[in-house]
Order: sequence, then C-alpha cells, then structure tokens
Amino acid sequence: MIGLVRNRDFDILVVGGGHAGVEAALASARMGRKAAIVTMDADKLALMSCNPAIGGIGKSQLVKEIDALGGLMAEAADATGIQFRRLNLSRGPAVWSTRAQADRIAYTRFVVDYVSRHRRVDVIEAEATRILTERGHVAGVELDSGEVILAPAVIVASGTFLGGLIHIGQKKIKAGRMGEKAACRLSDSLRELGFEVGRLKTGTPPRLDGDSIDWSLCARQPGEEPPPFFSARSPRRSLKQATCHLTYTTDETKAIVTANFTRSPIFSGQINSRGPRYCPSIETKFHRFVDKERHQIFLEPEGAGTSEIYPNGFSTALPEDLQWEAIRTVVGLERARITKPGYAIEYDFCPAYQIKPSLVTRRLPGLFFAGQINGTSGYEEAAAQGLIAGVNAALQIADEPPLVFDRSEAYIGVMVDDLCTRSTTEPYRMFTSRAEYRLSLREDNARDRLNDYARKYGLVPAEECAEFARLRERTEAAVAHFASTRIRIAELGELGRRFKRHTTVSLANLLKQPNISLDMALPLLARFDGGFSDDRQVVERAAIIIRYSGYVDKQQREIDKFKKMERVRIPDDLDYDSLTGLKKEAIEKLAQYRPGSLGQAGRIEGVTPGDVAVLSVHLRKRGVAFP
Amino acid sequence: MSYSSVRKTRTSRPRDCHGLQETSSPPPSDDTIVALITPPGEGGVAAVRLAGARSLTLLNRHFKPHRGRAVRPQPFLMRHGWFTDADGSAIDEVLAVYMPAGSSYTGQEQVEIFCHGGDQSVRLIIDALIHSGAHAAQPGEFTRLAFLSGRIDLSQAEAVAAIIAANTNNSHTAAREQLLGGYSEHIGTLREHLVDVMAEIEASIDYPEEEIPTAERKALLKGMSELIGEVKDLADTYRGGRIIRDGFKVAIAGRPNAGKSSLFNLLLRQQRALVTPQPGTTRDYLSEWIDLYGYAVNIIDTAGLRTKGGHVEKIGQDAAMRVISTCDLIVWMVDISRKRWEHELGRDMKWLAERRNILVGNKIDLTPGLARKRARIAAGRFNLVPVSCLTGRGVKRFKDELSAAIRQNLPDLTSGVIVTEARHRQKLKLALGHLRKARTNIRLGESPELTAFDLRIAVNALDELTGRVYTEDILDKIFSRFCIGK
Ligand SMILES: Nc1nc2c(ncn2[C@@H]2O[C@H](COP(=O)(O)OP(=O)(O)OP(=O)(O)O)[C@@H](O)[C@H]2O)c(=O)[nH]1
Ligand SMILES: [Mg+2]
Repeated sequence: MIGLVRNRDFDILVVGGGHAGVEAALASARMGRKAAIVTMDADKLALMSCNPAIGGIGKSQLVKEIDALGGLMAEAADATGIQFRRLNLSRGPAVWSTRAQADRIAYTRFVVDYVSRHRRVDVIEAEATRILTERGHVAGVELDSGEVILAPAVIVASGTFLGGLIHIGQKKIKAGRMGEKAACRLSDSLRELGFEVGRLKTGTPPRLDGDSIDWSLCARQPGEEPPPFFSARSPRRSLKQATCHLTYTTDETKAIVTANFTRSPIFSGQINSRGPRYCPSIETKFHRFVDKERHQIFLEPEGAGTSEIYPNGFSTALPEDLQWEAIRTVVGLERARITKPGYAIEYDFCPAYQIKPSLVTRRLPGLFFAGQINGTSGYEEAAAQGLIAGVNAALQIADEPPLVFDRSEAYIGVMVDDLCTRSTTEPYRMFTSRAEYRLSLREDNARDRLNDYARKYGLVPAEECAEFARLRERTEAAVAHFASTRIRIAELGELGRRFKRHTTVSLANLLKQPNISLDMALPLLARFDGGFSDDRQVVERAAIIIRYSGYVDKQQREIDKFKKMERVRIPDDLDYDSLTGLKKEAIEKLAQYRPGSLGQAGRIEGVTPGDVAVLSVHLRKRGVAFP
Repeated sequence: MSYSSVRKTRTSRPRDCHGLQETSSPPPSDDTIVALITPPGEGGVAAVRLAGARSLTLLNRHFKPHRGRAVRPQPFLMRHGWFTDADGSAIDEVLAVYMPAGSSYTGQEQVEIFCHGGDQSVRLIIDALIHSGAHAAQPGEFTRLAFLSGRIDLSQAEAVAAIIAANTNNSHTAAREQLLGGYSEHIGTLREHLVDVMAEIEASIDYPEEEIPTAERKALLKGMSELIGEVKDLADTYRGGRIIRDGFKVAIAGRPNAGKSSLFNLLLRQQRALVTPQPGTTRDYLSEWIDLYGYAVNIIDTAGLRTKGGHVEKIGQDAAMRVISTCDLIVWMVDISRKRWEHELGRDMKWLAERRNILVGNKIDLTPGLARKRARIAAGRFNLVPVSCLTGRGVKRFKDELSAAIRQNLPDLTSGVIVTEARHRQKLKLALGHLRKARTNIRLGESPELTAFDLRIAVNALDELTGRVYTEDILDKIFSRFCIGK
C-alpha cells in the first residue's frame, strides 16, 4: 500500500527505504508485525545509489545469509540481474563469492512491487524529522508535515541521508543522494537525544554513456554459465547475460590527477571525514600508491535497457571539467561522455558503541539503528543489519530475547561483533578475512547454519524448511557414499599419477587432494556417484564438506575455545568504575562498549589480556557462571 | 624449592586456589596478602611482603619506630624499628619499607619487612599480620597481582616463577632475560613477520584481481622458510632451557651392590643414602642437588638393576628405569672386583650405549697386583673411570669428567633467548606444525584460504604464549605453578 495511508496503527516504523530499511520492514512483517517504511520517495526503495552490483567477496556470504533468513536481497538480485559470476573460483569454496550485475531500475521496481504487495508493510512518503520519546522509551516519529506516527519500535536506516553533503570539486550540495534532499533535522533530533554523531565519507564515480566507449580496447568479462543465482528460492530463468569490461588508466591519467590534487575536496581540506581505504577515490589511489603506474577500471552496465556504464574504480570528487579530462585518458574511454558526474558525499553516522548486538540503541529502548548510520558501507552490510534490526524489533515488542549471532555462526555475527567492539575510523565493509572461522562460514552452507533460526522465528515458510531438511539428508547420504566408494587408479588417467603406490582410492580421498579442484573432480564424481548425479547441488555440497572436513574439524576446536569465553556473560549494568585493578583506559573502553561476554571484552580495542583477567576475577566473585 | 612448610602454618582458613569463589569475601585486590619472600630456614635476614590496599595500615598497627626516629612512612624510605604483636609487645627488630600502589612489583600498595632470619621470628610476624586481617598469599599470588595490574605479561610472569626456582647463576640469566621482556620481544618479532605473510595471503583472497606473481610467491616461500627456521630454533632451545631451569639430571645406576649409594654420599659430602654390604639396599630412589662449578646438578641414586630379587626391590627397579629414561646423563657403576664384571658390562652396554653415559669402575682398592693391572686394561677397553668410594681415589677425576659432560650438553647462553617452559615449547611446536603445513600448501599452490587457516592458528599459538590473547586455562595453569612469595 503506497500513498494514502489509512491505518497508522504500526508496530514498527522504519525510517529510510534503502536496503536496510526494506529488509527491516519485511523481516518484522514476516514475524507478524505491522511495519511502515517512512521514505522521501516511495518509488526509490532499495535504490542502488552506487555500483549496480550485489554480492562480491565477503558480501555474497552476507547475501546468502540474508536469503537463509528469509530476506529479499538475493531474490531481487536473481530476478533483475543481468550478469552473474562467482569470484575466487580458482580458490577454495569457502571464499567463492557470487556477484551479480543488476539492472538498477529493474531492481528497485522489483522491490517496490514486492513491498506494495505485502499486506503488513506500508510505505509513507515523507521525511522523518524527529524521534519521539515517552518515559525513556521510543514512541514514534514526527514527519515534516508535522504529523506524528506512533509505534513501540523505530528503526533508523537512513543511509547517507543524515546530514548528507555532496562534494564535486569546490561545489557543495546538501543532498542524501544526487538530486535528493538530505535529512538534516533527523540528525539534530538524534543529537538532542544525546547520541554522539560522527562524520564519514564515501564516493561514487561518474556514469558514462556506453555508446561513447571503444569496447574493442577493453578486455571482456563474460558471465558464468549457467548463471549462479543467489537464492534457492529463485526460479531458474534463462538469461542472456551482459558483459563487463576491464580497462586501465594511463600515464596521462596519473599526470592529470596528480597535477590537480588541490582541486579535489578530498585533499583541499574541504572534506575532513575519513573515506574507505578499500574503495579509494582515483585521487587517493594515485596519491597513496605513488609507485603504481596504472589502476584497473571495470566497466559495468547499469542495466539492460540503458547504455549507461558504471566505471568501477574511478570514484572521484574532482570538479566536473577535470572528470571529463581525466576519464578520457583511460584506455577505451578516449571519447567517453559523462552522463552524471562522480562525487564524494559526507554523511552523519552514530559510532556503533551506542548500539547493542541486537542493534537496539543503548540510550533509547525501542530505537534501533541499521546500515550506514552504524558506520558500515555497502548494500549487503546494510540489508543484513536491516533484517536483524527488524527481527529484533519484533522480538522486543513480544518481550522475547533478541537474535544475536556469534562470530562462529555467520558473517552477520562477525559484522555486528566488529561494530560493537571497535571504533569506526572508515566505513566498514565486509571481507572474508574478517571472519576467523571462514572455512566454516561459506556461501554453500548458509542455510545449514541459519535454517534453524529461520524456522524458529518464522522467517522462512515451513514447507521450504522441510525441503531443505531433505536436501540436507541427501547431502549426508552423498558424503557417506563418496567416503565408501573406491575407484581404480587406472581409471583416473592423468589424475591418477599422484597415487602411484595405490591401486584404488576413495572418492573422498580424491576430493581432499590439493590441486584437484572441485571442477576437476565433479565429472569424475558424476561417473561414480551412485545416483546422485542428477542433483548437482547435492554432489557439490557433499564434495565441499569432504574437501574441508579435516580443516573444519580443527576449526571446530578453535570455535569451542572461542565459545567458552563467549559463554561467560557480563551483566549489562556492571559498574566498571568500581572494579579495582583495571587500568583507566580499560575502564573507559569497557564502560563505553559494555561487552556482553568475556570473549567480547577481549576484542575491544584498548583492552589488554591483563584487563580481561581482572574482569574475569571480578566476574567469578560475583558468581557469574564459568562454563 | 618449596615453601609449603611455611605456608601451612600461616594459612588461617582453607581457600580455593585463587580465593575467589567465596562471594562474601572482598575482591582479591582489596585483600591484603602476606608471605615470606626469602627462602625459609636459618639465614641472616628474612623478608616478609604485604600487598594490597591495607598494607600500610597493617604496618602502622604493628610497627613501632625507634625512639627519636619517629619518621612518618614515606614511599621507598627504609625505616628502622620494632615489629610488635597486637598487644604491643615486641616480636623482633626490623627494617620496613612502604611502596604506594602503582609503583610496586604487584602494582598494589606494598610493604616489605626485613626481620631476623629463622623460622621463629618470621612465623610470629606473619601470624600477627594474619591476626590483623591479612591473608596468607597463595602460590604465585604476588605475581598474579603483578600480571593483573598489567605490569608484566604472561611469559614474564613465568620467568618470575623460574627465577624463584632457580638454584644457580645460569638459570638466573635465562629467567631474567625472559623477565626483562626480551623473550616476549623476540616472539613479537616472529609474530610480526608471520602477520606480514598472512596479510599477503589474505589480500590475495579478498582482492583476487591482484594476483600474487610467481616471483612474489617465491619470496613468500623464502620468508616462510626463514620463519619456520626461527620458530624451530627457538623451540629447540627447550632441551637446554629445561636443563637451565630444572638443572642437569644425573642418575647413578648399576647392578646391585656396585657402590652407587656410596658414590652418591661422596658427591653430597654427607651420609644421605643407606650403605650396606647387602645387595638390594636402595629400594626407592633418592634425589638431591649439588653445585658443580656453578651448575645445579640433580643427582639421583637408584636401586640396583638385576633380574632376581623380591617384589619390593622389583618396584624399586621399575622406578629406577623410569628415572633413567628421563635423565640427561647416566653414571653407570661397575664393581670391578667382581669376577664376571666384564661379561656383565658387555651385556648391559647393549642398551646403555644408546644413552649419554659415564662408566665408573668402582672398588679398585679390592683389585691388587696383577688383577689390578688386568682390570686397568679392561677398564681402558670400556673407557671406565676407575674409582674407589672407600678410599676416595679417582673421585676427583670422576667429578671432572662429570662436569665436562654437563658442560658439553648445556645450551649456549650467549645466543639470546631460550625456551625454559614446557608450555612454551608446546605452543611453539604447535605453531611450527601449522607453519610447515602452510608452507607445503603455498608450495603446492593449494587454495590460499587453507594456508591462511594454518597461519592463523600459528599466530594464535604465539599469542597464547605471550598472553596476547587471554584464555582462562592458561592463567590457571601458570599461576598454579608458582611458588609462594613472589
Ligand atoms: N672395598 C670397597 N668397598 C666398597 C666401595 N664402594 C662401596 N663399597 C661397599 O660395597 C657395599 C655396597 O655399597 P652401596 O653403596 O650400598 O652399593 P649400592 O650400589 O648402592 O647397592 P644397592 O643399593 O644394594 O644396589 C657396601 O658394603 C660398601 O661399603 C669401594 O670402593 N671399595
Ligand atoms: Mg644403594
């Protein structure tokens, strides 16, 4: 229901209709709550304001987890993607990462349609200007019209809109995204409530007219066949995949950018906030990596029905005339036309020590933060937080304990734990290296890890859970079959050479060999698979389990050690000042981050093992259970 | 060295290992703990330490400055006076010094009282303090406080324990090196290298566009090999490190009645072991320390080994075999006045030859004339050191041979850092195993996430070693090992 909203009797209000906001509203609605999204433009739900892609390394794992928890992102990407492939295929399955090039317009349309069909989600087209409170609890929001909407839970998922300020050269524009109004009053409202508000920066490259690009000079990057969709829920549609291209900057690019550092607000002092190190502007790249002569630029299509191109890697805040000059020095872009200039954007965020792992704010019960307001960047990071905030808002209303994943269960758990233990000095992006239990947190087992939660909270329909249970059983049967089936070395051909001293080898053993990739092994498995071959998914799942089994067992021991410390819970109201033996810095940090467990306390920066030891002594004394 | 006899008389009430389970008692750092910190027994001066918030209060209650010298307690000012009991009657003439919180070993407020040596005066002083509310310190509690106050890291804490236990000058050096942080620093450098390698591997996963060129892979492998070499070298210092910490362990072994206990007594310069003409006299083994040219040597007298004998003797022999298998050197004694000793020794050499040993031919006083000459030739064949425990002949030469053998097997102390703790060696070995696995994986071009996995465990192992990551069991293990008083 978009437009005129009659029923204003909502359980959960979501401020912001981006990737976080949409997942938040849908998740709480799946749990039977009535949600409303307050957004300035109801036609721009889940807009991809930066690059038109979903997934990628570390992020795809989040997308699969969102999917396993009933979220929409994976399905939306599958339905509107124009190119699919998996990155890191030459590495092991734990770091395989699906990435989809999506059609920007189609993606948003898909989400708008989906939301409008959902009977428990309303969209209110307005600007939320104030968070309302009543007796120390959130009470609702006030709109720019002066209208008041009441709700027992409010989720702020405002993206870059909070105090958004766009920079193009010396030009400054107050905006949340290009051409869209910033939300400055909401920022003030948060400050009034006592929240610490900080400033972050991100950027986006100019968009190009694809018809003005000389494609013959660029390397083609085709999609993967068959397209690797994200969601098991998605129908397998046939698709003529779009092509991405790879090109490079030249000496001239370097010369132009280097000569004009002072004209970029990033170096002129106009922007003081920190941008992401992993996604630097082209200015920053040439500035920081002086020795590097050229940088890669990926040319990505913005959609099926448009020739607009997103030059990934050329984010810039240079003045528009220089953007034209610089982009035309890139190979293949000699006559490129810019359709929209690139820009840097500064926005407000609330340092995440102010939230608990449930994403509820410490300061104001009932108020949740999700997405960029917590200092993250990326659609996937935002969507995952939105989903968790939505679930936990619903649980809070039902007076139930929140859903919190630990670092060994999900990338979502890693992300939230990182947010709750570290200060944000740059926008937070997910990487696989952030997950210390990476071998156990894979794309392929996201549902194995999370399905029980999804079922428990009703996030995924029961019949889907039942179907997954069958898939699990068949996978186990396949694992057993591969372990017990031996094949003759002679039949292995070239591969058999490494088994010189044997006459037979089990399929499982074969799969564990270094240098035998799954791709090499799969055709073999198909020949000896005892009836599993018709289900490639089962074969692949089983093969991955076998391949990692030794490592995962070892990792499990590390996880057990980790869990032991996580299970020592710290009371939320612990008075750290009263604890003798703690260093001053440690007291400050602990009182600020308020760790939920001894393990988490140890991960807070500035807290030493000695401090944790002192804390542990005090906890024992208070009778806290030590497993 | 054990202080347990002192501790038992001081402990006012039973407590668990850390004294923390009683929810009613104040936190440990509010506790004021007391213990003797010098070795117990006769000695010129003994030192008693108080640590905790009430240390100064307790001192003021029991300390009467000498008349005319009523100086107020000032930090680090040594004061002269009388220690009195609760009724005000003097116990001993003492020196006392007070250190404020933050600038003492434990990080807590601390007082040290120097009284006259001897059990009597020390016992009365500690009893009086306990009577006034101090608690007897648990083993390692002072060090635990120092660790908790962030003054020292884990490996340093262990070093303190080692220093307390150190009997000789050399063990002191290794322990002090560890205490000064040289050890943590060394491991810190190893860790840094390891993290560099890890960063490279991780980058290749999270930024796959940036392929690692073959040249860099070679450099990576070279770096890994260096790292493995360093960790291995460090782990290998353990055998020497253990000798430095525990002393050199020498077992005196041989057939019954060879004169083992006689030699043992000679080395100890006292009649410690029972000596009789009856074979099978020594049943259980005896262990004592001697100082041999500055090295602590642990000498063990064992039961004679033979096939016949009663049940008790048999048990003694089993114990002897166990000792022999863990010692650093065997002194094998042969009674060369026996007719068939060459034959017997020939048989014994079958297993002896595999171990570090010194052969001693005893009772040369019983082989006069021609027999002695013959014996000497035979002794030369087996390279026996001829001695007589009865007359003392040849014992000096034996001692020289023994100390030479020890010196040969001691680690080089000038080479820097030495692993003296079994826990450290175990962690280093763990790291080593995973580093080797990682190197193999890099070499085979195996998937980088597996290499990263092994590297991460290796880093964790090093971190657990220096206490960079906190795990409950490590602490419990370490602190429970401590001697009281430090
Ligand atoms: N004449 C002579 N008698 C010796 C000498 N050394 C030891 N004895 C005697 O040999 C006997 C056994 O000596 P121990 O020292 O008890 O021998 P042991 O090897 O400890 O014997 P077990 O403990 O029974 O195995 C005693 O009567 C000693 O006095 C020696 O050098 N010369
Ligand atoms: Mg004896």
